[in-house]
Amino acid sequence: MIAEPRGVGRDTRAAVIATLAFVTAVALLPPGSYLALLLSWLLLAFAGALLGIGPTRLARRGLVALPFVVAAVPIVFLRSDELLWAGSVGPLTLQVSGAGLRIALTALIKAWISVQASMLLLAFASAPSIVTALRRMKLPEVIATSAGLTIRYLELLRDEARRMLRARTARSASPVGSGRERIGGSISWRARTTGNLVGSLFLRAYSRAQRIEEAAASRGATGSLSIGTMPTADPRLTIKVIGVLALVLALTLFGALLPRL
Amino acid sequence: MYPQLHIPDGFLSPQLSLLLWVATAVLVGIAVRKSGRADVKLLASQPILMGVLGAFIFAAQMFNFPVATGTSGHLLGGVLAGYLLGPWAGTIVMATVIGIQALLFQDGGLLALGANAFNMGIIGTLGGSFVARGIGTALGGSRSASIFGAGAAAWLAVVAAAGLTTLQLGLSGTTNIAIGLPAMLGVHAVIGIGEALITVAALTFIAQTAPDILAGVSAPSKASPVRRLVTGVAIAGGVATLASLFASTDPDGLEAVAEQLGFLNAGEVSPFELFPNYTIPGLDGGASTAVAGVLGIIVVIGVLFALGRLARSRAQS
Repeated sequence: MIAEPRGVGRDTRAAVIATLAFVTAVALLPPGSYLALLLSWLLLAFAGALLGIGPTRLARRGLVALPFVVAAVPIVFLRSDELLWAGSVGPLTLQVSGAGLRIALTALIKAWISVQASMLLLAFASAPSIVTALRRMKLPEVIATSAGLTIRYLELLRDEARRMLRARTARSASPVGSGRERIGGSISWRARTTGNLVGSLFLRAYSRAQRIEEAAASRGATGSLSIGTMPTADPRLTIKVIGVLALVLALTLFGALLPRL
Repeated sequence: MYPQLHIPDGFLSPQLSLLLWVATAVLVGIAVRKSGRADVKLLASQPILMGVLGAFIFAAQMFNFPVATGTSGHLLGGVLAGYLLGPWAGTIVMATVIGIQALLFQDGGLLALGANAFNMGIIGTLGGSFVARGIGTALGGSRSASIFGAGAAAWLAVVAAAGLTTLQLGLSGTTNIAIGLPAMLGVHAVIGIGEALITVAALTFIAQTAPDILAGVSAPSKASPVRRLVTGVAIAGGVATLASLFASTDPDGLEAVAEQLGFLNAGEVSPFELFPNYTIPGLDGGASTAVAGVLGIIVVIGVLFALGRLARSRAQS
């Protein structure tokens, strides 16, 4: 038996709106409002606990966005206000700006929190139910159908790609190795090999699309291919949205009230 | 080395994020209208093909090839999608893929989705596809000319997306444009070569193996010499203008703009504070801060412990 994905048959609009509102509220917090950020995260950890995800697990899974902080590193050294330290490292003269450090650190924490928020949305509502919720919120039909199908065929084609990559590895155009694993050919040869893989994956995807269309047509499909049926509308949606907005407003207020470093 | 083009939340100012959300929504809306028109002939019906090819772009982004130790070329696929589906449908597919990456894989933020879809979907795919067509037409409109055009546009799309990302981060005050722009453009000029080579190779493969598929989408158009000249001059002019813009980027000027727009120090001033400087009123300076800090830490640890227990009991039920 195929298990029903979580959230199918449920109107998850409130969860989608709550996530977007929360992420926006976090983004609106001024630099250095670490206490308000801690409060936002505790709120998120509470929601996570209700969904059966402990704070440690949540925190660890939020780390995926962190490598991007490289982009914010320059301002730590290039802003010249609130100097914390200045000196020379070897031939370089360096200065560490307190303001720059605050901006970088705040961005880092915000990214970490926001990633966890969208993870929790996914833990609460399955991807198809989110697409359905977005359809309800007037996402154009073409996009909804195409997004639904992309999600449905994602794993299939990624699996196909994985197998093609393994086959390529076995035939020596693999990433740089040493000795017998050495790569074959010049850069343009390697690029062409990879391009051929992309091309043949496209052809496989294309013929799959044609098969899906034939199958759908033979079952009487008329065009829209969205996943599942529309669940009954959440009768308490308005109340939930008002609650969410109140919470978000409170967060923004805390951001203004709580001390900052 | 991978392209760092998926901006997470927190790095862009909310104002700029919302602005780019609106811009993306408007342009994708136009794409939805345009993609329904019959001037693009696809073999499979459009929504199904778009959906499956969205999954294809996703999977194709896994393909990489070694350039040198630790560096690999890999594919974003915007221009490829635009070439295979037509610019408008390709744009919708790319925007959808970027949205799914944000939602399902936390690759790029939700609030930053407008910016990411703008940089890679609108500029990278829509803009890239038109540049590709233009170059193809200027070179005579044969199949190989149009594939060459797609390769050049693919390179340009990656570099342009990298430049835009840096400018947006700079306007938000989270990066230094003077340092960031040359670095990002330099790195992505190399990454873009990988993108261009893969795009050309993939399109060549498809053109040789299944020419009928390409025939419907981007039929080579026989252009008159005048039109070729005009298109060529227009594109060369556009690229030259962009290049000179980037080359002569006046970082101080950009930073001044950012400051004037109010992104840099947005909301750094607050009207009043509850616990000024983390102290509890009534206790004096140092001791007060320490007490407040210790109390705070104890409360937080207690809350987290309780949440951990709550999570375990909820997971079991």
